Formats: sequence, C-alpha cells, structure tokens
Amino acid sequence: MRNKKLISASAGIVLAMTLAACSSSAGGNATADLTSKPNYSGSISILTAFAGQPMDPYFKGVIKAYTAEHPDVKINLSQETDDNAVKDKEKVLIASQSLPDIYFSYAGNWGQNFAENGLAADLSQVIAPATGWGKTFGAGALNAFKYDGKYYGVPLYNDAKFMGYNKAIFTKLNLSVPGTFDQLISDCSTIKAAGYTPIAFGNTDGWPGLHYLQQLIAYNVPRATLDADLNPKTAHWTDPGYITAMNEFTELVTKCTGDGSNSDGVTYTTAQQQQQSGKAAMYYQELIEFDSVNTPGSVLNKDGFGIFQLPAPAGAKGDPTTLEAAPEGYMINGKSKNAALALDFMKFATNMANASVLSSPPYGQPSAVIGAVTKSTSSNAVAQGSALVNKASSTIVWLDTASVPAVGDAWVSASEGLVSGSLTPQAALQSVQAASEKVK
Amino acid sequence: MTTAPAAIRQGAENRPPASRSKAAARAGAPWRNLVWLIPALAILAVFVYWPLLQDVFFSFLKWNIYSGEKTFVGGANYAELAGDPIFWKALGNNAWYAGISIVFQVFGALALAAIVESVRSERMRKAFRSIYFIPSAISLTVAGLLFYFIYQPQTGMLDVFLTNVGLGQYAQAWLGHENSAIFAVIAMSQWQGFGYSVLLFSVALQRIPVELYEAAAIDGVGPFRKFFSFSVPLVREMTGLMMIVTISGGFQVFNEVMVMTGGGPNNASQVLGTWLYHAGFMTNDFGYSAAIGVAIFVITLILAVLQLWVSRRRRVEW
Repeated sequence: MRNKKLISASAGIVLAMTLAACSSSAGGNATADLTSKPNYSGSISILTAFAGQPMDPYFKGVIKAYTAEHPDVKINLSQETDDNAVKDKEKVLIASQSLPDIYFSYAGNWGQNFAENGLAADLSQVIAPATGWGKTFGAGALNAFKYDGKYYGVPLYNDAKFMGYNKAIFTKLNLSVPGTFDQLISDCSTIKAAGYTPIAFGNTDGWPGLHYLQQLIAYNVPRATLDADLNPKTAHWTDPGYITAMNEFTELVTKCTGDGSNSDGVTYTTAQQQQQSGKAAMYYQELIEFDSVNTPGSVLNKDGFGIFQLPAPAGAKGDPTTLEAAPEGYMINGKSKNAALALDFMKFATNMANASVLSSPPYGQPSAVIGAVTKSTSSNAVAQGSALVNKASSTIVWLDTASVPAVGDAWVSASEGLVSGSLTPQAALQSVQAASEKVK
Repeated sequence: MTTAPAAIRQGAENRPPASRSKAAARAGAPWRNLVWLIPALAILAVFVYWPLLQDVFFSFLKWNIYSGEKTFVGGANYAELAGDPIFWKALGNNAWYAGISIVFQVFGALALAAIVESVRSERMRKAFRSIYFIPSAISLTVAGLLFYFIYQPQTGMLDVFLTNVGLGQYAQAWLGHENSAIFAVIAMSQWQGFGYSVLLFSVALQRIPVELYEAAAIDGVGPFRKFFSFSVPLVREMTGLMMIVTISGGFQVFNEVMVMTGGGPNNASQVLGTWLYHAGFMTNDFGYSAAIGVAIFVITLILAVLQLWVSRRRRVEW
C-alpha cells in the first residue's frame, strides 16, 4: 500500500511514454476542421478543471442542456480539480496522444505549449476579436491565449488577485484602503496591535507566495525586461527589481502575516478560514474565490467584504497599474475529428445564459463574456473585481504559468525559502537564474 | 520445520506402484508444471519487466512530450543526476527514512512484540495487538492528511499540546520548516507502520516453542536474557525479512511525503519518489525522471541482494 502511489506515478510516466513511443509524434500539422457543419450525431470528449464542489455541476448542466437540443450527440465528460490534478492528467494524455476534443488550459506558457506543438486548433477564424463570436469576449481575455498572432483559447472566466479585507475591522480601526505598499505595512502594525491577524497567509503549496511575488515583480521590474525574462531564449533575470520585490515580500510576511516564517506549514484553506471567521483583517485571494470565502452566514459576510489591488510601492520602477490577472479557458484539440462539433459546444457553453449562470453564486466564476457579470447576476465583490480587471491598463499572468515549468518551479521554491528564511533574495534569484540557464 | 517434508517422503514411499509411476511421469515432464507459471510470468513481463526496460531506455533521452521530439542524450541524464543537489538531498532523506524505520519498525517493534507476548492474559494480548495494529489499518493518505492538521502551527494538536504543557517555545510549523519537515513525515510513518511490524513479530514469537522459555525459567533466566538469548535469535528470519521490507520501503516512500509536504518547503523533504514525480510532471523532464526511476531500482535491488546475502544462512530449525 505504501508504494502504491509511487508505483502508480512511475507506471503513469512509463505508460504515457511507452504509448507515445509506440505511436507517431504528438506534434505535426493540425487537422481539426472547424469549417465543416457540426455532426450532431457524433461524440466529443471534454476535460475540465471543475471537479469538486461547488463547480462540479456546472459542465454537467451545460451538457444536459446541449444534449437536450441535440439528443444524438454523445459527450464524455472528465473532470479534475484545478492546478496539479488537471496538469498531471493533461501531461499523461499529451504523452499518450489521447487529449480529449476539448480541454482546460491556463494562459501563458501552459497554453503556449499546446499551441506551438499542434495540440490546439487555431481558432482565429472564429474567435479573433473582430469575429462575431470573438466580439462577445473581452479582448484582454482573448489576447491571453494569443500566441504568434493566432488565437487558440476560448476564455471561460477571468481571474485576478486582489486583497480582500474585512470592512468592519478597517472601520473599527479607522483605516482606509492603503494607497501604497508602505502604508499597507504600516496598517499591519495597527491591526496586529488590535489583536487581529493583519493578513492571513498559508504557503504550503508555494504558489500563494508566488502570487505576491509576481505582483510585486510587475511593480518593480520594467515590463519589457520582465517579458524578456519570461521568454527562455532571452531570459537573464538580473534586474535589481527582482531583489527589491523579494525584499518587499519578506517584509510583508514578517510584519503582516500571523504565522510569519511558519507560513510554509499553513494551508491555503486555513488562511481562507481565518478571514472568513473574522480573525484576519485581510487575505490575498483570487477573484474566483470571492464567493467561496465571503459565504452567507460567515462573520466576514456580516462584517462586510471589500477588495483592493495590492498597493504598489512608491517610486517602483515597473508598472504600478499592472494587475496580476489571467483568464482560464479551453482549447480544442488540434487533431480532433469532431472539431466542428466541439466548437459548436463551446459556443453554446459561452452563450449569455450559460455565462450568467457561471458568474452567479455558487459558482462565482466571472465569465469572460462581456455583460455576463453584473450586480444582478454576480455578488458585489465578483462584479467589482471583474470591473477592475476590465479597467486594468495591463495585466500579468501568474508567475508559475507564465514561465517555463523549470523556471516556474524555481520560483515556487524561492517563495517557500523566502518565507521560511532559508533563502536570501540573492540566493533565490541565483536558483532562478540557474534554472533558466538549464532550459535555454 | 523438517518434520513435514519427512512425513511427505514417508508417505510417498508407501504409495502403490501405479501412483509412484504417475508421480514419476509428472516429475519427468516438468514443463507441464511450468505451463501454470506462464500467466503470471506474462503479466509480470508486460507490467513490470517491459516497463522497466522502457524506463532504462527513456533515461537516455530528452523528451519534449508536447512536440513528441525525442533526442538521444547518452548519459546526460545520469550526469545531471550526479550533480543534482536535490537528488542527493532526496537520497539522504530516504536514508533517514530507512534508518529511523529500522529503529522503530524492526528493533522497536520486536521489543514491543516481546512485551505484548509476555502478557499472561490471552485477552489482554489480543487487545494490545489490536490497539497497536489499528493505525496500520488506516490508509496512508488518510493518516498523512490527519497528521497534516496535527502539525499545523498554532492551531494544530501538537503545538496546542506543547503550549498547554509549558513547552510553547518548541511549538513550530513542523511541516513548514526545512529542518523538521522530513522528520515530521517520518514520525507519522512510524506511527502508521509500527503496529503492523508488531503484529508480524508477535506471530514469529508465537512460533517459538514455549518449552524453551519454561526451561529457561526453571534455570532462573530473567526476561532480558530470555529476550536476547531466545527471542532475538529465534525470530532472526522475520527480522531479516523485516529489514529488507523496511529498507526497501524507505527508498520507495512516496504517498506520505506527497500528501504532507509535496517535497517542500524549498525541496527540503523531497525523497526519490517525489523527486521522480516532480521531474516528470512538474518540470516536464521525463528523461531525467526515468533516470531517477532507474536509480531507485538499482538502489533497492542492491539493498535487497545485500540483505539476502547477509541473511542467507540464518534459517531457524527446531
């Protein structure tokens, strides 16, 4: 039993590689035909990242409605939870050349790998901003899946990182939304003195710290430099802004979080609960989490839930208006034999009715479809967050999905080491540089 | 141990000639018996040996799974392995795992089993065996999650306990610090696997003829002497087996580390299994991942052969 998972993992790797070795290359020219008429007696397969509650029923409902209109269509639905589960599943499916017709994708390097290797169909002719379907989406969301001038993804919902705060605690302590990073740090001592945890933070997975880092890096590193560093061919990772961002991050961890250097042992959900129960004044969270943190009946809900963008440090050399945000979406297999049907299904899944359902509680995933997120369909926080995403002059994708995997992984380790104090910013940057050199 | 084969031999000699000729016919055609081994061999070949060979083959490649592009890189993955500090860190963590497990799950379990078996009441003995065995009945993943919460800083059961007994200065994020993470995982694993070892040693101890202990008691031998002079040598087969299983298990550990730390923080609790997974699934370096797999195989094979060699002439007969 002890070794069951190891054996499964090893077997998974070997099986995937064996299957790939036995068949032709996964790359090559895309063959998906998007122009033909959908075959309404065909079948398609879908892999989502919506396993678990409350998201699990969403696609089931969409499929039920679609097959009610097209009763002869067969849809095989497979769902995994977000992040590692869906990433692992997709890698096994890629290696065994059995990607489904429609599959989940992150923006950034994750989606780029699909696009560049013929695993995703070029959807430009149907979803580019000037097309009929494309006009229904925010341009920013479409552009997040644009690679080499072509559009490959169907953005399903927008996501962004905001500091959620407890309005009652801020009012009680006579605090206003901080305008600068220094003011945020200063407010933390006021909140701590009043007996609250200023910012709930759990970094067991490494990426929560990474989200702080990416936002601070975007503030401190000129965008052109950052974009060059995210490209493995032009990466150097030498700008002093990275060190500044890491110093700011460690200052925030030390002065604002309840567990400080212990935060690597605290789960993300524990941090969520600290804010939900009114013990923590703030919690840095994703837009898609708002409705699962600010739940009816919670202390936070009674106290009032507000959001603001992590304030930029005064005089930072990057772009102080950049918001860490990225849509998540779906791609159509570049070799799908039922690409037209898959496309038809995705058009159905992103119609206004379904987009509104997705944006509403309990799902609370702000649809990338223009007009789907309103105060009548979504919670106030989700609507406000979506408006801020749309207003942002520029956005930056999560550091772990924007970078190539080895570099993203080095940043995750850096995040953990900076929190525990085992790594200095200089040492952390050196490990990132080493990882970057290795993949050049 | 030797009486049963003797009885069988005697029975064979008393058989009528016809029966003896059938037996001879069977003995003369061993391939008929071998036929029955083929299904198991076929399954092993397909699901164990062929993937093993494939793994060795893949370890000489750099493989872009997205493009399908495969490049033969010779021993580059092994050279990388030799220079990878996290690989050595993981190997060291596996060694800690195996070493601590031997102390607790072999020697500690043997001592406890001897104590349990020395309890006079049969009912109490059964109760103790059950109590110690219960953690082993819990899934390792579930146990990992359970301890994940026990180890939470401030709110976790362990830190709350330390604080309440006046040892608050020792309270910390057990899984969140690089110097404690792997040991916190190993501690959970001992708790989970200890009872199983106790049960196996109890069975071995029960097989020792009680007359030996009775004779020793008449001669005035004390409990410690009985343990070291009778119990320890007479269960040495089981001890050898447990050593092999424990050491091999220590180098193949995966579940508990994956559930509790994922190899973090900052790769401090990586073991070979999680580093293999990490290389393949997190950084897409499947060739390197295969090389780690080969390393795990070679290490466990060497350890198993060594153990078998050391314990080759330790069969107990009475």
